[in-house]
Amino acid sequence: MAYLSEILGRPVTDLDGKSVGKLKDVIVRPWAEFPHPLIEAITIETKGGVSRSYPFAAVAALLSPVIPLKYRAEEAPTFELKDDDVLLSRDVLDKQIIDTDGARVVRVNDVELIRVNGTIYVSNVDISWLGILRRMGLVGLAHFLSGRIKQKGISWDDVELMRRDQSMQLRVPAERLHELHPADLAEIVSDLNRLESGQLLDTLDVAHLADTLEEVEPEFQAELVEHMDDERVADVLEEMEPDEAADLLGDLPEDRKQDLLALMEKDDADDVRKLLAYPEDSAGGIMTTEYAAIPSNLTAMEAIKILHGMADEVETMYYVYVVDEEAHLIGAFSLNNLIFASPGAQVKDFMSKRIITVNLTDDQETVAQTVAKYDLVAVPVVDEQNHLHGIVTADDALDKIIPTAWKKRLPRFYR
Amino acid sequence: MTESFAPAKRGFFARRWRQILLFLSVFGPATITAMADNDAGGVATYSIAGAQLGYPILFPLVIITVLLGITQEMGMRLAVITRKGLGDLIRERFGVKASLFMFGALLIANLGTLVTELSAVKTTASMLKIPAVPAVIVIVMVSFFFVVRGNYKATQTLMLFACLFFLAYIFSAIKAKPDWGLAVSNLLYPHGVTWDAAYTRNFLLIGMGVLGTTITPWGQFFISSFAFDKKIEKGKVNFSQMEAYWGAFLTDFFSFFMIVATAAALFGSGKPLLDGIQAAEAIRPIAGNLAGSLFAVGILNAGFMGLIVVSLSTAYAFAEFFGLSGSLNNTFKQSKTFYILFGIQMLVAAVVALFGNISLFKIAVFTQTINAVALPLVFFYLLKLTNDRKLMGEFVNNKFQKYFSIVCTIVIVIASIFTVAAAFFT
Repeated sequence: MAYLSEILGRPVTDLDGKSVGKLKDVIVRPWAEFPHPLIEAITIETKGGVSRSYPFAAVAALLSPVIPLKYRAEEAPTFELKDDDVLLSRDVLDKQIIDTDGARVVRVNDVELIRVNGTIYVSNVDISWLGILRRMGLVGLAHFLSGRIKQKGISWDDVELMRRDQSMQLRVPAERLHELHPADLAEIVSDLNRLESGQLLDTLDVAHLADTLEEVEPEFQAELVEHMDDERVADVLEEMEPDEAADLLGDLPEDRKQDLLALMEKDDADDVRKLLAYPEDSAGGIMTTEYAAIPSNLTAMEAIKILHGMADEVETMYYVYVVDEEAHLIGAFSLNNLIFASPGAQVKDFMSKRIITVNLTDDQETVAQTVAKYDLVAVPVVDEQNHLHGIVTADDALDKIIPTAWKKRLPRFYR
Repeated sequence: MTESFAPAKRGFFARRWRQILLFLSVFGPATITAMADNDAGGVATYSIAGAQLGYPILFPLVIITVLLGITQEMGMRLAVITRKGLGDLIRERFGVKASLFMFGALLIANLGTLVTELSAVKTTASMLKIPAVPAVIVIVMVSFFFVVRGNYKATQTLMLFACLFFLAYIFSAIKAKPDWGLAVSNLLYPHGVTWDAAYTRNFLLIGMGVLGTTITPWGQFFISSFAFDKKIEKGKVNFSQMEAYWGAFLTDFFSFFMIVATAAALFGSGKPLLDGIQAAEAIRPIAGNLAGSLFAVGILNAGFMGLIVVSLSTAYAFAEFFGLSGSLNNTFKQSKTFYILFGIQMLVAAVVALFGNISLFKIAVFTQTINAVALPLVFFYLLKLTNDRKLMGEFVNNKFQKYFSIVCTIVIVIASIFTVAAAFFT
């Protein structure tokens, strides 16, 4: 086992032992089949300040105090850099990477190399203080401490690299990132710089991107979509819950907002427009229009069938609302009630008729208090004539009352 | 329900209103950083300047405002465009050794500054007849828990609220019944005193000192970290730039009144001053009890602001240099090291301020020395980064900014070296 910090700067000699320069960088090439990249070549800096790359095959021993080449300097084969080559010192050392195992952004202090049968692989990246000690030249101290302190290296397998070149994509499939929870992704995105977070979001598919954006603080959402193209943002907005989409649009400049609404599917755009018409902190502004509502003249069996068909549109069903022909809210029941009712029972017989509602123009404070007082998971929003317009989930009601940082400390149940 | 979504024709006022809203949405980092530059040490320096030199020392204030505005704008622009703190960028561009050195200098100098803040809190509290030791402990505890439990917005609001206390200096100044005409005209050219050799020498020395306490390494780090934590959109960068200039103006607007208050009350009285609290004491018999007490409240508040901002700047810088998560929007659990470092500094400074037997003057000189060493480096990095087209894109320094900021940097560096040299030789 060796460290990049130890070999960088070591003298490189040719076949005759004549000095040709100092080791400047180590080039690795990611493979598709094996998670740990292989060292392909080295870059040296000659005394005159010129950089030259040699293939690893031309190096007699990389991990020795003096690095000898197998050729004379002028006869040695040179190595052509390709775009997807990773230069460990240029692209990895001191840079931020995503640790997909721990779902966080960290800074690389050192890179660990390992020799297997004459080839050298990158095994781990070192983010510990020992890496910093080694970089400072205190190799002895780092070695002394390494036996006593638990190392927290990150296997290269779990590393997602942010490339410095703007046009370049992340390592192409980036599957590891896609397995992360949207909440984790949201946190990673907020830790990256502008370029990097843009690159990261570019690799996500629309559904995943929508989920991730929903987890981000509203003000930051606007910043993230600032430089995304309109088509993609419109697709994402369609995918998001209408209330979240409305929040995001509310933070964008007026003309961009109109452009995006025009690009969205009509149904989705109409839902969002409805929400945008209400003040941001009113029941109308925080409600979602995705809820399950059914007519009253059904049996329990028929109701289940209808709800089954809604599965695609309504992400979470808390309560099922019962409305008459003019969309007046006349009752509600929970999924419990439905499942325990006999299949032939009429909806209007087992639904509860006394429903707690809030008005479209009620402020968020009132909604939050209502939700808390009656222990509701969601509360229906109606107008003066008792027409059902949407629901506010407990989560959204409490959102602005309790700052996010505090909310995260509450027991899961209340979130 | 009616739906009308045709973009309404916007009148002049609607457009203005929107501009104001946009400005308010980025408002905070630069104003807080700039106001915190008038921390307890800053108030002390301004008081001494006003008492010893009278109104003519108002003249350098204009230059300081320009220098502060220019340097703050660079730090702000860097953070908004790259969405990275200065610490992050130094580590990525200049490596581990530069980062460690910078962080070491920042940590030590900031600890010194924190001791000054808390000592000022201690003495001011006893002047206001508040028990000193509990006052310091309470301020440290409140700062710690508020910042840890709250999010970015809460801390920003608290700091902006603290800025309001600077109004106290305006009242003190009015109470001291100054010659306003002389004060304002001295902003344009220094006059109204006899320029003998001793006065001129003091004028130069104290003028440099004033510059040195206003433009600091922690100020440069804090503005970029705080702007980064606020996550300002790139499209609003021009509003952030405006805020940077506005912050510089506002700070020196209040500095003006500090100087006026002490100049009107104390200049020519022959009373030697060593710190801001003595100024508050000395103002009392001349401008009245209220003026003195208000001045003292101002110092207390300046100490409180400095305490939070300076210790946060170290914590942010640490997180950036060494790649840990550090954001006020994180919980204690998510950013443990960040918050612990924030708290530990205040704790150490509190212990030293309360029980240490070290001369405050020595600490001030020591702090100033380290700042003078670190400041040229900070500006070197800042200029390197803001001149890098690859990093900044279209927001790279233009020719004027490039050369003007180099000139500013040289002036600041000379001033800080001067101050240190003066402290050692007098």
